[in-house]
Amino acid sequence: MARVRELCETAVEAALAAGASYADARAVLRRSQSVRTKNGRVEDVNDVESEGIGVRVLVGGAWGFACDRRLEDTGAREAAGRAAAFARAAPGGHDRALAPVEAHSGSYRTPVERDPFDVSLADKVELCLRASAALEHADVKVAQASVRAQREHKTLVSSEGTAVEQELVETGAGIDAIAAGDGVFQMRSYPSAHVGSSSQAGWEYVEGLALEREAPRVAEQAAALLRADTCPAGVTTVVIDSEQMALQVHESVGHPTELDRVYGTEASYAGTSFLKPGDLDSLRYGSELMNITADATTPGGLGTFAFDDEGVPAARAPIVEAGVLRGFLTSRETAARIGAGGGGSMRADGWSRMPLVRMTNLHLEPGAGTLEELISEVDDGVYLESNKSWSIDDKRLNFQFGTQIAWEIKRGKLGRMLRDATYTGITPVFWGSLEALGGRDSWEMVGLTNCGKGQPGQGAHVSHGAPPARFRNVQIGVKA
Amino acid sequence: MTVAAEAAAAALAAADGEEAEAVALAELSGLARFAASEVHQPTLIENVVVTLRIVRHGKVGLAVTNKVDDGGLASLVQRARAAADSAVAEPTFPGLAEPADLPDADGYDEATAAQSPEDQARQAAAAIDAAEGLDAYGFYTSGVTELAVRSSTGVDTRQAVTDATALVLAAGEGISGYAEQSAWRAADVDPASVAREAAAKAERTRDARELEPGAYRAVLEPYAIAELLGYFAYDSFGALGLLEQRSYLAGRLGERIADEKVTIVDDALDPRNLPKRFDFEGSPKQRVGLIEDGVARDVVWDRTTAAQAGNGHATTGHAPPAMMRDYGPLPFALALAPGEAGSVEELAELVGDGIYVTRLHYLNIVHPREGVITGMTRDGTFRIRDGKVAEPLVNLRFTVSVPQVLEDVPGLTSYTQLVNASDFYGERYPYGALVPAISTARFNITGSGSKPGI
Repeated sequence: MARVRELCETAVEAALAAGASYADARAVLRRSQSVRTKNGRVEDVNDVESEGIGVRVLVGGAWGFACDRRLEDTGAREAAGRAAAFARAAPGGHDRALAPVEAHSGSYRTPVERDPFDVSLADKVELCLRASAALEHADVKVAQASVRAQREHKTLVSSEGTAVEQELVETGAGIDAIAAGDGVFQMRSYPSAHVGSSSQAGWEYVEGLALEREAPRVAEQAAALLRADTCPAGVTTVVIDSEQMALQVHESVGHPTELDRVYGTEASYAGTSFLKPGDLDSLRYGSELMNITADATTPGGLGTFAFDDEGVPAARAPIVEAGVLRGFLTSRETAARIGAGGGGSMRADGWSRMPLVRMTNLHLEPGAGTLEELISEVDDGVYLESNKSWSIDDKRLNFQFGTQIAWEIKRGKLGRMLRDATYTGITPVFWGSLEALGGRDSWEMVGLTNCGKGQPGQGAHVSHGAPPARFRNVQIGVKA
Repeated sequence: MTVAAEAAAAALAAADGEEAEAVALAELSGLARFAASEVHQPTLIENVVVTLRIVRHGKVGLAVTNKVDDGGLASLVQRARAAADSAVAEPTFPGLAEPADLPDADGYDEATAAQSPEDQARQAAAAIDAAEGLDAYGFYTSGVTELAVRSSTGVDTRQAVTDATALVLAAGEGISGYAEQSAWRAADVDPASVAREAAAKAERTRDARELEPGAYRAVLEPYAIAELLGYFAYDSFGALGLLEQRSYLAGRLGERIADEKVTIVDDALDPRNLPKRFDFEGSPKQRVGLIEDGVARDVVWDRTTAAQAGNGHATTGHAPPAMMRDYGPLPFALALAPGEAGSVEELAELVGDGIYVTRLHYLNIVHPREGVITGMTRDGTFRIRDGKVAEPLVNLRFTVSVPQVLEDVPGLTSYTQLVNASDFYGERYPYGALVPAISTARFNITGSGSKPGI
């Protein structure tokens, strides 16, 4: 990869020669494989690669970004020139500062036991076919399984002396059983909804999921949901499983604490935040049980790296401590603006997009006890499991989630199964009603691959660890 | 631009001797994104992506690359072969498409294709300058996209299209308004006009009030109804949703499911939309009636779902890009037929007492089979009283059954607007919905959220 590093250096030199006061160049080579089977058919077997270089510059305080798919001298130089020209054309005056970062050189590679690209596509197909066969059930109309693997090699060189190389490897898998009949449509998934779960790990992660073993339970639950009662409406106590809590953290804590959103730069698309810069160290986000940590060093996390896409070293930092806002997710630019922190959350989707403030791995820290204990202390409530739908307002206040399955809780025990469960709330009110958390043994991490932000749009892969959690006075059963 | 055509031809040549299909998508675009009236995320993209599908003994494998030199294409062929060899033969696989006569549809404008980064920055500046004292957030983008399909069965087609969009959210303390324009001719997009519309809307949102949850009569501007229909379409207007019983239309084709004023088609040949001649298999685009005079008529098909249905269905030219095949065929050119109302003010008169919605935010499908969708209103929500647009409201959570929204439609405007439906993820493939503003007798509000502003 020495050639790629030289190309990045060429791009940075070309950008400086074109008038940039700062420049960085990121070359990315990405390869991914995915297999998807449905009802015994092989729906998709694909092998995708993409490579190119993206150059980001500051000219007169204005950003410019351009990219080129050609990993060669011409491509690097032309991308740098276009980026500088675009920055120069930006209307108005600009005054941007970047938080200082020490120049780093080094490399990092995701530790893997078995490289997922050493596993043949035929073996991946076979695993999916076995898993989807195990989903067979009279009421299951669609039984599907998928596996994915990705290797991304990226090189970052900056005009401040940073030169780092990283190879990040991801694997993931999931199964879905879709039951339909008499006008009712229900789905159950494992290990999580929305194309399963992924991890920065080798093939051992997929093997550890034991899709085939879990499939019969998933199919049985999908079928049972066809005949389950609809979740009633009301205000009650809810216990939420780790998977759904992961998305709750993502939407109602992760996005609102992205400092670019707080400053409004995402206003026209994904939205802003109910948080203000001055809320740091004073705003009560939730109950004293609420502790949220951003950790770019979590083993297996999809947001794990040695350096972010600005060359800032990975770190672990509190976001919420004992219910009080203690940190934001920052870039060098936003960190300089707020005068706190030093960035460390910048990531881009491949080589053709500009880095944005993205979640790394954002975790809800555990409490004590088990899921069973959380439920046993509820006289009348609902237990919610696995995400089905999600929506939250532009400032991340009003949210509404649906889950694939639920059970009523009566006198400390799970009762009848419920379908079409939803719950809704206002972020700080909801987190203020947090009254119990599961312990370390119940803490699970979910890897999401569908987080969207930016214009043009960018996808990001992030992980969230969470225990099951209990909240009081929650509105459930929203009806159309 | 002939980059895609050349890449598709080269990829097919590299796969000489194979039963193969090469689909190439090339993009040259610029997007000047701005916030607080300052450009902050300017992105220039130049790329070509080739998808090679190889069929060996009935087994199908697929590989993708953006390395279109000899070495890259040789690797592409090798990886597609390996993928095919790893698959299992599927009896319902319809084979690769045969050549077909394609309809005319011109969506290419030389002046738009020629826009430079400086032009794009100037258009962004025009929007910023016209925001009338408010901060402007949004973007101006233009680009040219070329799609080419070549196959060993003789398909050999290409089309280059252009697109331009100006989008502005104008905001001040506690106020915000929204507007956008899209077209395949940049000359038809006026960023300053967009900014003025957004700013004027914003000025009316000061001191927004909350609203009690409940079912309200409503006026939905084109931005709002386009997004609502787009989400409904994912499950309900595609053949895969129909076959898997996710679609609201499953079991209801031929039945009245909406007000007789409601006609929804997918028509990529309409020159007012973003015209396309063929889909990602090279099959001709067809106009498909989805709901006609309130009656559910059909969904869109590709060759795979038509073969799986096995009851005489044929493709309607709606094969999606390879990496979106798990969605099945999708309508990329929705159009809601206009009505007779001369303005949104006339629609407000028809509503009498209700709410006025400019745009929606963060939609999601709650119950696909029932067409239930939730989301928020944003950047211009108002109360309608006595047939007039009245005081502003905070952003409202809605949870609606789309069929219920369409069940009783007092009126639609006589004019339509093209609303951009692409968020420009992945490779650029511009598409939009051509819709009027609409009024409905039922729009279910289930909560209140944040105030206008950023």
